[in-house]
Amino acid sequence: MKRASILLTGATGAVGGDLLRKLAQRDDLTVNVAVRRKGVSPVERVRALLSHDQIKATVNVVEADIGAGPMLGVREELLRDLQRETTHIVHSAGSTSFTLPLADARAANVDGSRNVLEFARNCPALECGAFLSTVYVSGKRRGDFGESDFGDAGLGFVNSYEESKAEMEEMIRSAMNDLPLILVRLSTVLGDSTTGRVSAFNTIHHAVRLLYSGLAPMIPGDPNDPVDIVSSDFVCDAALHLVEHAPRPGVYHVAAGRESSNTLGEIIDETMNTLAANRPSWRKRSVEKPVIVDLDTYELFVKSVEETGNQVLRNATRSIRTFAYQLAHPKVFETRQASAALAWNGIAPQPSLAFYPRVVKYCLDTNWGSRQ
Amino acid sequence: MTLSTVGIESIAEYLPPHVASITELSERGLLRGSADTLRSFGFESVHLACEESNLDMAIAAAEKLLNESGIERDQIGMILYAAALNSSSTLWNGNGVSRPGSVLDLGTVHDLFKYPGSVLQTELDLPNAAVVGINQVGCASIFAALRMARALVVTEDNLKAVLCVSADKFPSGQPRDLAYNLVSDGACAALVRRDAERNRILECAQVTKGALWESDEIENEIIAAYFPTAAALIERTLASAGLKMDDIALVIPHNVSLRSWEILGRLIKCPPDRIYTNNIAKVGHTIASDNLLNLKHATDAGLIAKGELMLMFTFGYGSNWACMVVQH
Repeated sequence: MKRASILLTGATGAVGGDLLRKLAQRDDLTVNVAVRRKGVSPVERVRALLSHDQIKATVNVVEADIGAGPMLGVREELLRDLQRETTHIVHSAGSTSFTLPLADARAANVDGSRNVLEFARNCPALECGAFLSTVYVSGKRRGDFGESDFGDAGLGFVNSYEESKAEMEEMIRSAMNDLPLILVRLSTVLGDSTTGRVSAFNTIHHAVRLLYSGLAPMIPGDPNDPVDIVSSDFVCDAALHLVEHAPRPGVYHVAAGRESSNTLGEIIDETMNTLAANRPSWRKRSVEKPVIVDLDTYELFVKSVEETGNQVLRNATRSIRTFAYQLAHPKVFETRQASAALAWNGIAPQPSLAFYPRVVKYCLDTNWGSRQ
Repeated sequence: MTLSTVGIESIAEYLPPHVASITELSERGLLRGSADTLRSFGFESVHLACEESNLDMAIAAAEKLLNESGIERDQIGMILYAAALNSSSTLWNGNGVSRPGSVLDLGTVHDLFKYPGSVLQTELDLPNAAVVGINQVGCASIFAALRMARALVVTEDNLKAVLCVSADKFPSGQPRDLAYNLVSDGACAALVRRDAERNRILECAQVTKGALWESDEIENEIIAAYFPTAAALIERTLASAGLKMDDIALVIPHNVSLRSWEILGRLIKCPPDRIYTNNIAKVGHTIASDNLLNLKHATDAGLIAKGELMLMFTFGYGSNWACMVVQH
């Protein structure tokens, strides 16, 4: 049987790094890691990522630039070798910034994916090409969002990240007739379910920090609306399992779904409880729990803060604003296909409140990454 | 005698006649922030005390109250002198002496024992009134005075009426904008009596967040804490009184920015037409006198019918929030 050979992009990102660490523990794989030179050499970057891990897989570092065109910035001879041996592709490279201009987000998330797609077309042994996406391609939809649903249904997007990912999905869907591709839509990844370890701090972690600092007076949404968050270990296990075993073509939601989600009110309560339990000195500051408000009220508050010109409060509201508008468009991510594909291997999301406090504690213990 | 029979029977105010527009304040260097932002937030002008000291204003408001209410002066058993600003509890401003620096930068040790409340008692000729000063509560100091007056009237049989007074004059030369609000000078006096015919105090509550004491260092945290703490306190006060916001006919606010009341009104689910904001633009924020002044103006305007419920709320910069339910 041919040894599986996986091309992994985006290994220096949050999810990609976790995927690489997971893949590196497999002794039945060859992992070709496509990494850009950025200050230090790609080999050094990958070495740093795997410095604490036991490596069982054959890990090859390929200096590449996904944005450089269909050749991925790889010299032709090496590119042909890669294409010949690649059985699986996990494309996790891209930008997860919510604040990029749309053109830049497209360059990162659409153009890069187009190049990887072209690479895939020339892989004769390709069994599965997995393109990581986000459940938030759903944009400003409300209510249930299924794995067979696509895009914003004309309701618009909250940020350029969502929009560019939706455009990427459109492109991949068109290619699904010709190639064995899957779209793996990830929910918001917070941290490891056991240790709370956070690979990359995102806007949710920063929001927790603002709350800790007493600078988050209000959050848009409804206390009873579900908030979908997942642990990084679930995401890794699920994504890799789907790449190897899920029916293709297909779209899979790696999300908490209805069963494992908690409400916004419960998440905020748990945040307050966890901060107080782990930092008795913080409790003395009597930071009030943020009020959950409708979007119009939040907009009025943001407008008022902007008018004051107060830089600290402006940064705080802008930071929350980048993701919080999703909270004002509540939805439940249906996970039927993913659950069916993952169930026989026992992979399932943990209930949010089962791991969320550990992530908050990790944020506190590391001072949001400054004391890693 | 129960707490709910005690009420605010009479109110009188003193506002200095000199009105300064935002433009004038800006030209005189009395703003540290943007004039346009203040206008956008609903302010137009403030009253500035010129010759008047805070004590002069207190005497003027209290004298007016005594004359209008017709109460026998001998019946006043107590004066609760609420000084929101630390400077208001000394006689430096009381004597009209403008002196820079600390309020404790006094001439002699004897000055430490000279209190405006005492002067008030003798000037008003209230020989039976014991004097107690209330401070350290910022703009919520008059709420503390009303709350204590209510409790004292209930528990002390011989105490028939308490005069609550607040008067604050902002230090001269200091910017008039504080935390995006525009500060006015002014005074208010209220007569708290048992078996009051109006404004019975049904519920009082106060939250103190002592960690916010260092107001200049952590102004952002104070501003951020304002809304959620206010909303939580109002909700709790109503719940304690067995009421809902729908039961409240009129919210009597403190005169912080109209914008902040637009936001807080949404948080407490109170429509704008049930918040008395008529004085915010022209009067500004008179430190501790806003609510009584607004209660009087709303009453005089016939906006409150007999038996209707009102909710009064204020914030004592930077660590005290206070709330009260009153039945007209």
